[in-house]
Amino acid sequence: MLDNILSILIFFPALAAVLGFIVNKESIRAYGVVVAIIEFSLALLLWFFFDNNVSGMQFMETIALVPTFGINYIVGVDGISLFIVILAAFFTMIGIASLGDTKDIKNMIITLLFLQMTMVGVFVALDAIVFYVFWELSLVPMLYIIGAWGGPLRIYASVKFFLYTFTGSLVMLVGMLFMAYFYYQATGQWSFAILDWYRLILPESFQLWLFVAFFFGFAIKVPMFPFHTWLPYAHGQAPTIGSVILAAILLKMGTYAFIRFSLPLFPDASTYFMFPIAILAIIMIIYTAMVAYAQKDIKQVVAYSSVSHMGVIILGTFALNVEGISGSIFLMIAHGVVSGALFFLVGVIYDRRHTKMMDQFGGLASVMPKFATIFGIMMMASVGLPLTINFVGEFLSLLGFYQQSHILTLLAGMAIIVGAIYMLSAYKKMFFGEVTIEENKNLPDVNKRELIALVPLVIITIWLGIYPKPLLGPINTSVEAVVQLMHEKSITEEAKQRIPNLDILINRTSAKEAN
Amino acid sequence: MLSPINVSIESLNLMTLAPMLIPIVGALLILVIDLFKSGQDKSMYVMLSLLILGIDFIFLLEAAGIFEKNGTVMGVFDVMLIDGLAILSQFIIVSASMLFIPLALTQKRFHEFSYPEFFALFLFMIAGFQFMVATDNLILIFVGLETASLALYTLIAMHNRDKSFEAAVKYFTMGALAAGFYSFGSMVFYALTGSIEINQIAAVLEANNFADIGFVLIGVVFMLASFGFKLSMVPFHTWTPDVYEGSSAALAGYMSIVPKIAAFVVAMRLFEFLIHSGVVWLEVILYIGVVVTMTMANIWALVQSDVKRMLAYSSISHAGFVMAAILIGTTQSNSALFLYWILFSFTNLGSFSMLWISRQKNLPAGQSSDHSYNKFAGLVKTSPVAASIMALFMLSLAGLPPFALFWGKMYMISSAVTGGYTVLALIMALNSAIAGYYYLKLIVYMFMKDPIINHSGNISMVNATLSLKTIIGIAAVGTIFAVLALNSLLEFVTAFVYNSGY
Repeated sequence: MLDNILSILIFFPALAAVLGFIVNKESIRAYGVVVAIIEFSLALLLWFFFDNNVSGMQFMETIALVPTFGINYIVGVDGISLFIVILAAFFTMIGIASLGDTKDIKNMIITLLFLQMTMVGVFVALDAIVFYVFWELSLVPMLYIIGAWGGPLRIYASVKFFLYTFTGSLVMLVGMLFMAYFYYQATGQWSFAILDWYRLILPESFQLWLFVAFFFGFAIKVPMFPFHTWLPYAHGQAPTIGSVILAAILLKMGTYAFIRFSLPLFPDASTYFMFPIAILAIIMIIYTAMVAYAQKDIKQVVAYSSVSHMGVIILGTFALNVEGISGSIFLMIAHGVVSGALFFLVGVIYDRRHTKMMDQFGGLASVMPKFATIFGIMMMASVGLPLTINFVGEFLSLLGFYQQSHILTLLAGMAIIVGAIYMLSAYKKMFFGEVTIEENKNLPDVNKRELIALVPLVIITIWLGIYPKPLLGPINTSVEAVVQLMHEKSITEEAKQRIPNLDILINRTSAKEAN
Repeated sequence: MLSPINVSIESLNLMTLAPMLIPIVGALLILVIDLFKSGQDKSMYVMLSLLILGIDFIFLLEAAGIFEKNGTVMGVFDVMLIDGLAILSQFIIVSASMLFIPLALTQKRFHEFSYPEFFALFLFMIAGFQFMVATDNLILIFVGLETASLALYTLIAMHNRDKSFEAAVKYFTMGALAAGFYSFGSMVFYALTGSIEINQIAAVLEANNFADIGFVLIGVVFMLASFGFKLSMVPFHTWTPDVYEGSSAALAGYMSIVPKIAAFVVAMRLFEFLIHSGVVWLEVILYIGVVVTMTMANIWALVQSDVKRMLAYSSISHAGFVMAAILIGTTQSNSALFLYWILFSFTNLGSFSMLWISRQKNLPAGQSSDHSYNKFAGLVKTSPVAASIMALFMLSLAGLPPFALFWGKMYMISSAVTGGYTVLALIMALNSAIAGYYYLKLIVYMFMKDPIINHSGNISMVNATLSLKTIIGIAAVGTIFAVLALNSLLEFVTAFVYNSGY
């Protein structure tokens, strides 16, 4: 059964969603929760049977789709993707479980289950076209969630979200087709399998162009600095659940793809573009942090802070060494947990007051103490307080980049201080002081359903902040293999120097397959 | 004294005519039935046409078998040319026709289907298209083209509305102009080479190394203009939206597929050798034509307020996209053309059929056209299945994986990449992004807006019958599961195109 566990993980939610059309509206919530719990348990089972000492792909499956053109359904999981898959299952679960009163709840839950299929699919696909299929398919449920349940500008926001990402990915598709063509020229066979592509060493000029083509697709998804304008709209208009999934999982597709595609396929181009991208990332960190400070809407503050932290992830990724990349992967998980939780919290207060303007609040700490406590913990985590989950990732990312450039790292570190300023001031505006507005005096504190979502997130935040090793171990093993591969593949002097040689033998097959 | 010409019947290879003769005989049969016993129900004629097309299809299968064994077959004084292109395109023509004809079995009564002439003309038209693709004789191409076009004009006019007459007359005038251009172009080639067979023309031109390049270019200009009209390339496209709007949605969907594949095949036969001979000027003209057709049609489609007109512009854009295959001119690109068109015919016929089943008999008050976007607003609330299927077709047309058209698009862009047309590949990709907007617009109307017009009951399925639903079901299944059939389809198409020497 475990041989097919990844396919089950992908298609179980989709099957459940199709069957969900038949389920009665009254019972759909229970149905959705049960399906999501099963899916999450399967994801945990995957973790349980995951071999931490293997750096390569595990649980691989291959089915020929279009062998004439080299397209095969190949899935597999390694330390880089494992925890994001679990995170996706986890967030869908608590997302459905904590879903408040929503109109057309049946459509919402079915859409969420479809979305889950595409999310898992993206992170386990090992064939570029299969990856692309899930990548593009994930736009549709999100489009529907934002467009049907969003705020007043929802249609504009959803269409902008869709078209931006769609355009970027089409450029990426051209890059993929080029890559397959180069593989065809080199070997005489078409192949879109990423592991096959890893073996291909390209001349630097080709690498640069292809890197740019892939960069468009990924950077828009992340979103990186000049392409980030769709995100505040999407977050601003999306319903709570949409924002949570978007921030926690969908954005990670971009950063994950950088590590899966850009770095190992184009090590020289990655070195070449390291500083331009690092500068973009730092602009992204500082600029969006300043924009966040100027916001009056608490959801926009969280949205911009989320973009800001994505900048740190990019910076860590392009440190091109084990610390940086491991840190950035860990930060992806951390960012997912923390900003997901923050969007949940904003949703909690929005459900009660139907406003997100910070000047409508004030003194909430005395009215809603539990809410204020959880919000406080999450905000501290977002700022990067030691012993919280974000700190580990940020610290490692910056440590990694410190080896490449001291000044840029210092600038990025400064930005974290700016982050503290806007977060703390937002917290002050909302929670401290006198309760000035009459409506705020009798707000109910967080209820049980909301606690189902929030308490696990708090536990994870602190647990992994104190003891990150269960995650960092497997991540590290896989990242070492990637870095070693990059070092071996690189052809320019500069890249050989920037990417450390780890002198390890890459153990590409799992022990089970070796038998 | 003239000696009698001795031609053995066997050398004529009359079997090559069989696939074309079947619809002609069938059409005559329908007319004869009407003579003896008029006033039969349309369902009888529909099923009869379906049977005749089915026989036609079986003969095509046989021809395909012969082609796989013996290669290209010539017949009837070497006028007929049954090669892979001819067989592939006839497959598309006949199967699209088989999908189209049951659409006549509507809930509402429409004028045209009450005449048996409609079905007779329809079968004559198919025979015309089949002749057009199965020869490289310029005269026979012309005969086929005109047979098919004249029948098609009449089919449009039979819809019996003011707009239909306008459409038919407009199409007729434009078609006549195109025919004029075509005959003038053929005349130039004949004058240059003394032959009306495309392969002879190619051989003679290559033998004298394109000495009269000026005249060749004049001939090419006329041919390009003529096929520009037929394929609705910009700037010869102006008739398309009006004609689509005037004809019934089903026929419009049909027109966006079948006449175009016939024209594509002829264009492929004619332009391929010219491009490979290094006539740079032609390459530049085609390049510009392809890019302008894709882009401008997309931009016009953005501003349409009627879904049918939007789909009309979108099919212009798709035709431009596919025209790129002829420009690239490799085996991969020519296979991509057929692959694309097979997948496109499923999707596009499906989406036009969705318009067709929501067609009311008369224009309701407050609506300026049959299929305005507003009509589809909030469709998901009134009939979620129809909305989902329509959205499926739109996503497929936009090129969203894993639906049918994505694979065609991907293969086509890949052939541009492989053929060395990098910029063209990027333009094609970006055009798909522009197109995404207007397909999305319909989805936004259906899924995210509230119903605007007060419907009395369920308007989206007002015209639906079991047979219409079956056709849509087939199209939807084909659209979703195209990926499963893709490998065998690709192998089949590539083998046929490759063995025909394209």
